[in-house]
Amino acid sequence: MTSRRDFLKVTGAAGAGLVLGLRLEAKPRPGETTGRPFHPNAYLAIRPDGMAVLTVPKSEMGQGVRTSLPLVIAEELDLDWSRVELTQAMPGPEFRHLGTGGSTSVSTTWTTLRNAGAAAREMLVGAAAKAWGVPPGQCRTEKGFVLGPGGRKSGYGELAEAAAKLPLPKAPKLKAPSEFRLLGRPTRRVDGAKIVTGKAMYGLDVRRPGQRFAAVLRCPVAGGTPKAWDAGKAQAVRGVKAVVQVPSGLAVIAESTWAAFKGRDALAATVTWDEGPNRDFNSKGHEDRMRTALGGPAEAARTTGAAAPALAASARLVEAEYAFPFQAHTTMEPMNATAHIRPDGAELWMGTQGPNAAQERAAAAVGLKPGAVAVNVTLLGGGFGRRSGTDFSTEATEVAKAAGGGPIQVVWSREDDLHHDQFHPATLHRLKAGLDGQGGLAAWSHRIAGGAVLRSWLGGKKAPGQAETEANGAWDIPYDIPALDISYAEVEVPVALGWWRAIEIVPNVFARECFLDEVAHAAGKDPLAYRLELLGKRGKVKMGEEDVDIGRLRRVLELAAAKAGWGQPLPKGRGLGLACHAYDRRTYLAAVAEVSVAKGQLRVHRVVAAVDCGIVLNPDHLVGQVEGGVAWGVSALFSQVTFEKGRAVQDNFDTFPVLRLPEMPQVEVHTVASGEAPSGMGEPPVPVTLPAVLNAVFAATGKRLRRLPVTSADLA
Amino acid sequence: MPAFQITVNGRRRSVDVDADTPLLWVLRDTLGLTGTKFGCGRGICGACTVHQDGKAVRSCQVSAKEAAGSAIVTIEGLSKEGSHPVQRAWLEEDVAQCGYCQPGMIMTASALLAAHPRPTDGQIDEVIGDHICRCGSYPRIRKAIHRAANGGAK
Repeated sequence: MTSRRDFLKVTGAAGAGLVLGLRLEAKPRPGETTGRPFHPNAYLAIRPDGMAVLTVPKSEMGQGVRTSLPLVIAEELDLDWSRVELTQAMPGPEFRHLGTGGSTSVSTTWTTLRNAGAAAREMLVGAAAKAWGVPPGQCRTEKGFVLGPGGRKSGYGELAEAAAKLPLPKAPKLKAPSEFRLLGRPTRRVDGAKIVTGKAMYGLDVRRPGQRFAAVLRCPVAGGTPKAWDAGKAQAVRGVKAVVQVPSGLAVIAESTWAAFKGRDALAATVTWDEGPNRDFNSKGHEDRMRTALGGPAEAARTTGAAAPALAASARLVEAEYAFPFQAHTTMEPMNATAHIRPDGAELWMGTQGPNAAQERAAAAVGLKPGAVAVNVTLLGGGFGRRSGTDFSTEATEVAKAAGGGPIQVVWSREDDLHHDQFHPATLHRLKAGLDGQGGLAAWSHRIAGGAVLRSWLGGKKAPGQAETEANGAWDIPYDIPALDISYAEVEVPVALGWWRAIEIVPNVFARECFLDEVAHAAGKDPLAYRLELLGKRGKVKMGEEDVDIGRLRRVLELAAAKAGWGQPLPKGRGLGLACHAYDRRTYLAAVAEVSVAKGQLRVHRVVAAVDCGIVLNPDHLVGQVEGGVAWGVSALFSQVTFEKGRAVQDNFDTFPVLRLPEMPQVEVHTVASGEAPSGMGEPPVPVTLPAVLNAVFAATGKRLRRLPVTSADLA
Repeated sequence: MPAFQITVNGRRRSVDVDADTPLLWVLRDTLGLTGTKFGCGRGICGACTVHQDGKAVRSCQVSAKEAAGSAIVTIEGLSKEGSHPVQRAWLEEDVAQCGYCQPGMIMTASALLAAHPRPTDGQIDEVIGDHICRCGSYPRIRKAIHRAANGGAK
């Protein structure tokens, strides 16, 4: 937690009432005193009028952090939730870890925010107790007030100035979850009213004084550059101001978005490209390379016992190849960023999941120190990992620098957004299972071949532990199998790669849980019973550096199966399939899907999910995350990105279909009550959804689908 | 270049733009009404939906010339302070996740209810089926439309 000295150094004197750019002094209400705000740490301030100003240290992309994180502070601080204002944190010395992703927003801020709220509460109580001459232990707090013996009552605003003079508590007392009054309730989203009236501000809605707009013409082949072009054709378009070159291509600067797009179209007709070294990249060739890599050297992600001889000696060997394609994000709001270069620094406005990284890379691109780049994080019209990318914000900074003048908003069309996504890489999986004479699973081998996302994000540098990262979901297979061989073979990809909701865990769990169903079938066992048998009655099992609680995984598996009616007769043509996973060794889920297939069409009727993610901050938003993850997973069954001649083939929602309302399954969510610390739910529902559906297809039709996307030919 | 006269949210506006400028960009850039969203530019996703003379239309597919002389209502003008039954129902059901697609959804839902006060699931499927949400808010959208149709009751 910030020390008092650090706090004063960063914000200057506390007396001005201007902290972190906030105007904290306000006209006092009748009966209230003027005074100084109470700002004991970076996350909260109490104004003299009693309004609490809370700072949100994660980006809002629909996962609900602008509601849940401030609620954590409000809970420990006993605030009146109706007297809370929010500000969005900006990267800087007080906020070095604003990166939002990995389903970690609550889990990584839980303790910090609780302590921030609890410390402030103790100081306010201390101030009241001192003023009343009573022991702090005889005081309590409720909805923004300290209450003392004899009916004494003081609002936090009144106490703000006195509280600010007290020392910061080193170890404030936190509430027991049983004492929670705000957390655990279905609190509505804070931005709801703005959203439904069109007042919510996303990156694309930023309008700065004197703002121009830009569209960037990028070579359709990754790594290609413009050789020749006629800027005059663009400049002849009404509203176009200039054409400037930046590393990513040619930026057409205009007075409006439409003029920028029109100018770019005119420019595009004149450009000759040097398509560069990747002009022959295509999906078929890439798949051939992945298949070759499956048979070549690979890096071990996890090795237990001796799988190769065990497989060779097995009574029955089951073997299969699974294929997962390149995927795109297609956030509803296409990429965009607004940048303003000033003599002394720069300012950016965009939806970003990586404010700190965006700040650093934008600064480096234009020769500034990171501290000279102010990053304003707007609402995100979808993130899903795409907005962890810094490409679009760095590009906007470069455009603004090259163009000179005031702020410029670089807008990506949907075609730009699809063609220049940071794609989820395709992977090919080879799985082998060795059964003994009694159907027991003696050995399991899972080799994955494909591009490495983290390496792409690091600009080609290989991170330590790459194999484990790319095999996440495969190496942490929770079943008790005596011999395991999980490995990864990297295959280079010339296009940008990025984190896509649940990342490598999606294809790895898809392959694993579908193949396990194949093995169960080969062993003549029911998929549920087989999984329970393989999980065994173990408690906590060490996996890498972490403990996985097999009991919690069994519980969600049994719960999902029971609620879905596993084993009960179904109408003809319907089937149930299931899958389970301990997501990143911390959130436990199982899903059962009910499907039917008719005339080459797959209908997912229902997905029953059982989840255990520790303490639930908002049960309604938890359901929303499961609904969203299921929707994402079902959608992914039917789409892909393919490449020909170095270009992505798909360019809009007609060629890259996504899930529509009539296709959305009914989603039932059953939550296991838990006292464990919150462990995240943004991504976990995705990886179990795909295999649950595909296993259900097998149950309904006898067809085993091992390649995605699913086509009607597969189902005919 | 002649200006186009368009009534937007009850106010007569005169916009000096190219005839082929999509209404979407007239609203967002010329008139500063950013509540109507850009999602695909091809009329596929529905994020840009507004009302033109009472009908739900995709503003990225309506040119300034085609909008001239008509009455446009955007999400900002749908009601006074979010009081439309659809907006109220959207809040009651806490429909939105990221919220970006929701203005378009709300404009389509309000037009649906104006024509069919008690829509069936099939009618909801038909109109909302032409919209895209990437966050998975679909189940709540359906519930909210029924709720608005039931006068706000569940």
